Amino acid sequence: MISVRNVYKNFGDLHVLKGVSSEIQKGEKVVIIGPSGSGKSTLLRCMNLLEEPTYGEVWLDDQLLTPADPYLHPEVMKASKTYQKLLAEAGSTGTADEKLEQELLHRIRQEDLLNEKHEGKLYKETLKQIEKEKRVNVNLARQRVGMVFQHFNLFHNLTVMENLTLAPVTLKLQTLEEATAKATELLNRIGLYDKKDEYPSKLSGGQKQRIAIVRSLVMNPEALLFDEPTSALDPEMVGEVLELIRELADEGMTMVIVTHEMGFAREVATRVMFMDGGEIKEENTPEEFFGHPQNPRLQEFLSKVL
Amino acid sequence: MTIQSLSTKWNMFIDTFLNKGGYKEVVTGLINTLIIALVALVLGIIIGTIIAAIEVQPRKGKVLDILRRICSIYVAFFRGTPIVVQLLLGYFVLLPLFGWNLPSVAVAIIIMGLNSGAYVSEIMRSGILSVDIGQMEAGRAMGLGYGTTMQKIIIPQAVKNILPTLGNELISLIKETSVVSFIGVVDLYKAFRTIGSGNYEYMMPFLVMAVIYIGIILIITFALKMMERGLRASDKR
Repeated sequence: MISVRNVYKNFGDLHVLKGVSSEIQKGEKVVIIGPSGSGKSTLLRCMNLLEEPTYGEVWLDDQLLTPADPYLHPEVMKASKTYQKLLAEAGSTGTADEKLEQELLHRIRQEDLLNEKHEGKLYKETLKQIEKEKRVNVNLARQRVGMVFQHFNLFHNLTVMENLTLAPVTLKLQTLEEATAKATELLNRIGLYDKKDEYPSKLSGGQKQRIAIVRSLVMNPEALLFDEPTSALDPEMVGEVLELIRELADEGMTMVIVTHEMGFAREVATRVMFMDGGEIKEENTPEEFFGHPQNPRLQEFLSKVL
Repeated sequence: MTIQSLSTKWNMFIDTFLNKGGYKEVVTGLINTLIIALVALVLGIIIGTIIAAIEVQPRKGKVLDILRRICSIYVAFFRGTPIVVQLLLGYFVLLPLFGWNLPSVAVAIIIMGLNSGAYVSEIMRSGILSVDIGQMEAGRAMGLGYGTTMQKIIIPQAVKNILPTLGNELISLIKETSVVSFIGVVDLYKAFRTIGSGNYEYMMPFLVMAVIYIGIILIITFALKMMERGLRASDKR
């Protein structure tokens, strides 16, 4: 349902993601672990475009969220002048057999040969056509994927109830009555309905995070992204937050979770991903991942944290 | 100077003030001063907020670049020239040039509002930047647009952070209105000057004027403190 294709992210000279591809299926619970600075949060944030990838594409089902990346579309590359030139150099006129074609496309990708400005009209039109057909407004996509932050990010100027109802009502997805009813149900579920008129500053960390989670649930999201949801919590509050996440997982919510809670990862994940140096170094079922790690860096990492 | 002559001066002032209708002039002046300062502040906050929102927008684009350019020219002009010059330009240059017919109070309000906007934009910008970036991210992550998140989440918090500074802006606006008589507006200064010019006795009128200015500003300072306390309801502090 969420698909990340060959995503690179540079902050100036710092290369945080170096060509990450992954597909999150509906119902999956993917846990991403890795040392700090490995790019795991950046990857998560690329999934709802809080970070815009430098290269590569992010898809939500069949909706493209980023600009189209020419290197991911053979038909775009083939429309380029560079490809025609290579074709001519290879002594072929007009069409190429499949093997040559693959070879040339591979070379264009490897050597980063495309130059936006000199690829001609056909190239630009093909690229534009893809965006016209597939690309959606990122705000619409974000309504379908909720996000939970390390520092909760509840709106300080709004009460708990207003925090929950603001987005669905402002976006006209629900009436105030509908949103309030839904919020009431969710607050009752986490046992915090009596806090509905409090401001976030009056709540404990665990309460804030559980409210932040239900805030994203009011939108009826199809997937949830968790960015180190328990890292900023006092140890005794970690449990209540993980418990809520576990419940949502059991109900079948699609999730991507960046966390340092290994026990939780092993228990909840259907797939665990290890990131290091901006790449996915290993991914597997939790049993295999923790039982028989292959990558030496992962073995070292696990030996330190377990 | 003897006590006696001071007492004579005071009696002369009271006479002009009460018996010769001087108080009417002062009331007009007081109302004008307050109206000009308050409306100019509202205008300044609106303009300043719009400018600040444009300036902190991280995205690039042709339209945005042009807007940013316009904003920086505007701020440079209004911060770079004395307010008296701006009033004179507005009243004696722009009005006749465009053939507009506006009362001098309106011109004073507009010019002081524009002037204040330039200062408020800087105050507001620092206010917006003082709000945790996570607030914007949380809004955007739920599908709210940049403008909506700004309006509903960021700016309310920014305003709360900068309220003391905005209070200072109101106070300095009230004090700066004392130059509007350059374009013929009757403000506090002008009113007391008129009272004094009746018998060339300026000592008491200007002394009373100073007391009134201090009085207004103490009242406003107190009101702002109360307002700030109310707005801090969502804070731990």
